[in-house]
Amino acid sequence: MKKFLAIVLALAMVMALGVSAFADLKVAFSQIGQESDWRTANTDNLCAAIEGHEGWTLIYDDAQQKQENQIKALRNFITQGVDYILFTGVVNTGWDEVLAEVNEAEIPLILIDRMPECADKIEYAAAFGGDFVEEGRRQTIWAGEYLKSLGRGDEEIAVAIMEGTTGADAQVGRTKGNLEGLEKYPNMKVVAQQSGNFTRAEGQAVMESWLKSVDKIDVLIAQNDDMGLGAVDAIKAAGLVPGKDIIIVGCDSVKAAFEAIVAGDMNATIECTPLYADFVVPTIEGLEAGETYGRDVLHPAEGVYDCVGGIVCGGEVEVTSTLAADVIDARVY
Amino acid sequence: MKKKKFDISSIMQSKITWAVVAEILILLVCFIIRPDFFKISYQPTTGMLYGSLIDIINRSAEITIIAMGMTLVIALGGTDLSVGAMVALSGAIALKFMRWDVLVYNTPGDYTVMPYILVILVPLLVCTLLGLFNGFMIANIGMQPIIATLILMVCGRGVAQICTNGKQFTTLYSPFRVIGQGSLFCLPMPIIITAVIVVLVSLFVRKTAFGTMVESVGINPSASRLSGIDSKKIILIVFALTGLLSAISGLIYSSRIMSNDSNNAGINYEMDAILAVVIGGTNMSGGKFSLAGTVIGSIIIRTIVTFVYYFGIVSEATMAFKALIIIVVIVLQSEPVRQKMAKMGKKKKAADVPKGGAVSA
Repeated sequence: MKKFLAIVLALAMVMALGVSAFADLKVAFSQIGQESDWRTANTDNLCAAIEGHEGWTLIYDDAQQKQENQIKALRNFITQGVDYILFTGVVNTGWDEVLAEVNEAEIPLILIDRMPECADKIEYAAAFGGDFVEEGRRQTIWAGEYLKSLGRGDEEIAVAIMEGTTGADAQVGRTKGNLEGLEKYPNMKVVAQQSGNFTRAEGQAVMESWLKSVDKIDVLIAQNDDMGLGAVDAIKAAGLVPGKDIIIVGCDSVKAAFEAIVAGDMNATIECTPLYADFVVPTIEGLEAGETYGRDVLHPAEGVYDCVGGIVCGGEVEVTSTLAADVIDARVY
Repeated sequence: MKKKKFDISSIMQSKITWAVVAEILILLVCFIIRPDFFKISYQPTTGMLYGSLIDIINRSAEITIIAMGMTLVIALGGTDLSVGAMVALSGAIALKFMRWDVLVYNTPGDYTVMPYILVILVPLLVCTLLGLFNGFMIANIGMQPIIATLILMVCGRGVAQICTNGKQFTTLYSPFRVIGQGSLFCLPMPIIITAVIVVLVSLFVRKTAFGTMVESVGINPSASRLSGIDSKKIILIVFALTGLLSAISGLIYSSRIMSNDSNNAGINYEMDAILAVVIGGTNMSGGKFSLAGTVIGSIIIRTIVTFVYYFGIVSEATMAFKALIIIVVIVLQSEPVRQKMAKMGKKKKAADVPKGGAVSA
């Protein structure tokens, strides 16, 4: 009798485990760490969406900016037998081996944000990230179109490009896009180009020097909003009016940039959205239903926010700018 | 005549001379390329002097202030790696106190939630205590300084993140703006703060026996202890002072950008401060130190950065360019080169005045 009971109990437990394993989809997410507001918004958005989804369990790992932590996390995911792995790499290279292990374990891999260098050699279910080159194009095209709308379309315009951290994906892509966008406007010439390391303090110091070394700057293209915000203070210190004497176009669309645009200190910001949940959740649902997404990197739909609204400034993807003041209250990050 | 000859060779041998020469050479190159690099004008809208030279001194403030403490730490034969993290922490605490009400992102306002005095004092106090903690680990537990300060270097930034829930706060509170962007006597406030600190620290170490005690502990801790110097107390004071100075530097940094930036504030400051001290002629193995040399070292570092921005050196080449200049400066003031220079000075004198002294080539 005891034996029989034991068997029944054991069977029941196995059944229970089996049922829960079927009901629960284990979605693992290996995040880089918390490096910026953008990253925090990205993490919060994805984690909340996955945790909040019925029948899904989130297994989250914060790698604290260390590749070895991420590799360890990916191996743990494999041992735990998760159903999906969301992955963005802290660096570009060195992922070949561990991602091949993920492939061997036949766990569908979804690449987000940063694409590893070995992406060509591995299998992945879907890839999703920002289009830095298009963002770069939009920055200069917005400036060109805005100047046209001010009636300065034929005037000789001096453009300064403040780049991000040298070698970062965003810096390489946005610089390429910036220069491509300028090709349409022969009146706009690049007079200065320097890295501001994506930080406010360095953006400020670089602008401070430019104001003394360059005769005239009409447009500042800052490859992220922070550098643009830093430059605003330097421009004020030089006795000029930011947003008027020097037109400032930022990138990323952080909340502080919206505040600066509404205050008249900045002119525009090109969106680089961290809110990936709207893509990731339907993708996993689609993969569950047997859909495929191919090998192309898919891009989120992103807007342009500025001080006037209604400026058509798309590079390869059409977009019309929105008045920043109209949407500032709805911004969450 | 003989006295003068002696002076020249001692000047040629002094490390600080070569730091000054290096700075003058860099400025000379600037002058040759663009004479207007030296232009200084009065800016009526801000009521401040305006020019690249002012920028160099203004923006070297953060490193100069930290390097004052770092000079003493290095004179003790140690290093403090935690200064950069403390810069981040100090800014984070200050902004947290001003923006205590922020749970979600909202518009920056011209107000502070906590009393302004706490906004300034709490970061200073916290970082001084952390400096004391560093000193305690070294003096009482007997840890190596590089290991003891590594603890805070690694976790300080994390604590700063926790303080502000990983957010970057922005403020428009004008009394806070004064620290980094205000002015006094037509000069940017950071220059004034730096000058006051340099004078105070110099007076403290040179007008009291403290400086000599630091050098003594740095040269030979056991002998100092036997001669009655309380080396533990010296170590505690020096590390606490470095913590305090890092906090002041952090307040200047965050006031300049009117926000906390826990990820980027004070990045590599420990390395820049050590470099400033070394360029200034203080030996890494401890002992004799020179605060004036450190100030010049810090200004040299900032001159190089300004040079890069001003003349638009391409971003990719910036690091290599900085390294190149620093190598030249360090080699110029290395022992063998200085010896050789001093000998050349002597030789020249000897040639001028026959039988001027025993000189070997």
